[in-house]
Amino acid sequence: MDQSAALSGLRYLVPELSLLGVAAAAMFTHLFARKRGRRLAGFVSLAGFLAVTGLLVLSPRTAEEIYSGTLAADGFALFFKLSFLVSTVLAIILSFRFFDVEGSEPGEIYYLMPLAVIGMMAAVSSTDLIATYVSFELFAIPSYILAGVFKKDRRAGEAGIKYFFLGSLSSGIMLLGMALVFGLAGETNYAAIADHLAGGGNPIALAGMILFFAGLFFKAALVPFHMWAPDVYEGAPTPLVVFLSTAPKAAVIAILIRLMVVLFRSYEVQWTLILQFTAVITMFWGNIAALIQTNVKRMMAYSSVAHAGYIAIGLAAWSEPARWAVLFYVLVYVIMNAAAFGMVLLVRKGGTFGETVDDFRGLAGKSPLAAASLLVILLSLTGIPPTAGFMGKYFIFAAAVGKGMVLLAVAGAVNSVISVFYYFRIGRAIFFEADPAGVPLDRSLNPRLVLAFAALALLVFGVLPSLLGQFAISSVLGR
Amino acid sequence: MTLFGIPILTLITFFPLAGLLLVMGIPGRRAGAIRIAANVIAGLEFLATLGLLLGFNPSAEGMQFVERADWIKAFRVQYLMGIDGISLLLILLTSLLTFLATLSSWKAITVRVKEYYLFMLLLEVGMIGVFVSLDLVLFYVFWEVMLVPMYFLIGIWGGERKLYAAIKFFLYTLFGSVVMLIGILMLYSHYHTFDLPAMLEAGSLLPIALQSWVFLAFFLGFAIKVPMFPFHTWLPDAHVEAPTAGSVILAGVLLKMGTYGFVRFSLPLFPEAARRFVPLIVVLALISIVYGALVSLMQKDMKKLIAYSSVSHMGFVVLGIFTFSPMAVKGAVLQMINHGISTGALFLIVGVLYERRHTRLIADFGGLSSRMPLYAAIFLVMALSSIGLPGLNGFIGEFMILMGTWNVHWVWAAVAATGIVLGAGYMLWLYQRVMFGRLGNPANETLKDLTARELATFIPLVVLAFWIGVYPKPFLEIIDKPVERIIRIVNPASVPQGPAVSALPATGPRAAGRAIEVP
Repeated sequence: MDQSAALSGLRYLVPELSLLGVAAAAMFTHLFARKRGRRLAGFVSLAGFLAVTGLLVLSPRTAEEIYSGTLAADGFALFFKLSFLVSTVLAIILSFRFFDVEGSEPGEIYYLMPLAVIGMMAAVSSTDLIATYVSFELFAIPSYILAGVFKKDRRAGEAGIKYFFLGSLSSGIMLLGMALVFGLAGETNYAAIADHLAGGGNPIALAGMILFFAGLFFKAALVPFHMWAPDVYEGAPTPLVVFLSTAPKAAVIAILIRLMVVLFRSYEVQWTLILQFTAVITMFWGNIAALIQTNVKRMMAYSSVAHAGYIAIGLAAWSEPARWAVLFYVLVYVIMNAAAFGMVLLVRKGGTFGETVDDFRGLAGKSPLAAASLLVILLSLTGIPPTAGFMGKYFIFAAAVGKGMVLLAVAGAVNSVISVFYYFRIGRAIFFEADPAGVPLDRSLNPRLVLAFAALALLVFGVLPSLLGQFAISSVLGR
Repeated sequence: MTLFGIPILTLITFFPLAGLLLVMGIPGRRAGAIRIAANVIAGLEFLATLGLLLGFNPSAEGMQFVERADWIKAFRVQYLMGIDGISLLLILLTSLLTFLATLSSWKAITVRVKEYYLFMLLLEVGMIGVFVSLDLVLFYVFWEVMLVPMYFLIGIWGGERKLYAAIKFFLYTLFGSVVMLIGILMLYSHYHTFDLPAMLEAGSLLPIALQSWVFLAFFLGFAIKVPMFPFHTWLPDAHVEAPTAGSVILAGVLLKMGTYGFVRFSLPLFPEAARRFVPLIVVLALISIVYGALVSLMQKDMKKLIAYSSVSHMGFVVLGIFTFSPMAVKGAVLQMINHGISTGALFLIVGVLYERRHTRLIADFGGLSSRMPLYAAIFLVMALSSIGLPGLNGFIGEFMILMGTWNVHWVWAAVAATGIVLGAGYMLWLYQRVMFGRLGNPANETLKDLTARELATFIPLVVLAFWIGVYPKPFLEIIDKPVERIIRIVNPASVPQGPAVSALPATGPRAAGRAIEVP
């Protein structure tokens, strides 16, 4: 590769490079500004993310391979990159309030998040084993730190360690899968490997695929690799959970899709089967386990497991409509889930925030706007029109039925009914039950604004899904 | 037809939503202003739906006032609205009952007034939307949108066990709905459109085995809503716990959506499957009729009694629909309206007493006719209308259903007729125990008769009860064409002449069990 190709490839990496700048700026602000430096770093980071969001929205929708097929610069990647930015911006806004109340602010998060997002952005573009693994670790390692960075809370430390150990294990498993595939093909490029694997039926390739997928399923918290999620999401600081439960999951889904349609395209029968099975057990497990939770964060952790299951239906039924459905659902999931965890910042209890369902009692009387936003968000999580959550599920089920997987769609539909039980328990507390003493509304506007934004977005995309669809449709895979 | 430059169906569907936004702007402490605004909006909405009559042509074939636009292009979902005579009557019923229910809530609702009217208006959007939608996805969206406000109406302003009743209502209907959604998607995978008129134009494309499954998926959704035995258990709970206005809408409109679904979707879309399942559905309908009536006899709570009587009455409607005879189906459609009028009124009647005495137990009353003569008169008219006394609306519907059924199968008609006898029993007994006898309970001595506002809520219903009872012709004329069109698809043998639906293979009842070739 000559120099000019290297330079022309850089054009496509402007968002990543800008984020690197943002991370550096936030880091130095944090280092050198005294006392107020931590918050200042946060503002630097937030401004940087907003600027990069603008850059992304304006950047051209291309479908090109750069760096000899190592990275794909396509609309597909662009779409996922956008979802990371949405997640991060919401997380940072919530962080401001959370750490104010907690009284100590780990400023590191403001440059760890941009670093992790760079890794995710590279991961969703990568079409090469080495690039995939490196970018995967690039976002995995900051995530481990983010989970445990809040040293004041012992639960966070436990969460960080747990996430780190299990995460490293899964990376190792994934690496083993990669090694098997590489050993067979002697290539690292997805397309080149796919040519070697053409015909299918090779048991070693199959083993490689299963191990590869297992590593990814872990990060996406698909059952049976979800065990860490409830503990980590409960223990880690809430605004960081907003980030950790959405962005890495979206990134992993993008990697998975590129593997399915490019690298393992000759093994479609097998991965369809694996994904169908995973989708069903993930949905049931997530929803049923959520039923018995009383802590909202833990409940939403299981709910996010269940939502990954719905997305897996779309993956199993991969087709033109399914692609649309999955992309739509991923962005909607990011918004919904950010809001689902963000709601924990609404009410105060003791020196911190109320986390149990009971703490939300009587919220409708205390803040009608927050209650109305939460109503929309809960309806969307359940999948009731006219919210984006319904449209997402509808597209997913439509894709499944279109592929003849009617039972899979039925399983998904039954699961939305099960999920009513726990989502509506929160709704019941908010609207029907009396206000408990000692749980005042947090007076900050930040969480209420985030929730109102999420509710509005979910309504708009629920009534006019084509707005988002135009964007999702223009996304194309590398080939 | 447009009104103020907006296509009329869009206008009548979303006018309550605009009203909702308006009410949202009024501060919650100004309850009086909110009440006035909500009543004015509901009244204007009723007038707007009356406007439909001006442009409606009862002798035209097919859908009228059709509005069509792309909604979600990638999935070929359209914003497609249109009505025929059946939808027209149900829309009028909906807007009238919503207006009356709003009016009846004036004094009954004292807490969280603003939220209450917001949910009422949202409910109306969903209900009207269901009756005007001709695209299956659009229909489904409205169908589910309706659940949420009803859930809150029961859950916030309901009785003692409101939480249980609200979630039970929600879960039952949601379960039926999602199964129906899968059915809709399966239809799409064969028709590649959600456009109902286009589907009917294309004829039945589904092989009979698949058609049966999809029919059952739709059936579950509709049967839970009706509700038919054995899916009826949510109804008594929901009715007993719901506030008066909630019960009125629930019985008056929401139950009709199930039977509307049968007429609009199940029969024309799955004619073979519908014929195949006639025995099962007729048996369930007959059980609903007799069982509902028997259980009504045993009730101590007035609301519960009327709730179970709904199971019985709606059984008649389902029976009429599944005879596929033009006479009975017309009777069934008319009976949907009649039931909305009489049962809606009966729930309002119970509400009047409940507002004054905060009890609904029959045993707490007796001899009220001496204290409330006006009330007694209206109660009597509505009780007799519910029983089906000639000269009142209930008679026309039930008579047509029984006539049509008799011609198909006399045993069905005979069993159903026992429901009428039992109906007279529980209703007259209820009336006797509440209104006649000695004024035993001292708490009842100070009861006041109807106020002007309460009387105003009853007058339209009483007028309609007599009008349909004495001169049903205009109502029957409106539903004549659409019913015949549906019968022509599902049971061509019973409609001798008239243009056959083009792409439909001429399969008589004899071909019911056999798969038809797909072109």
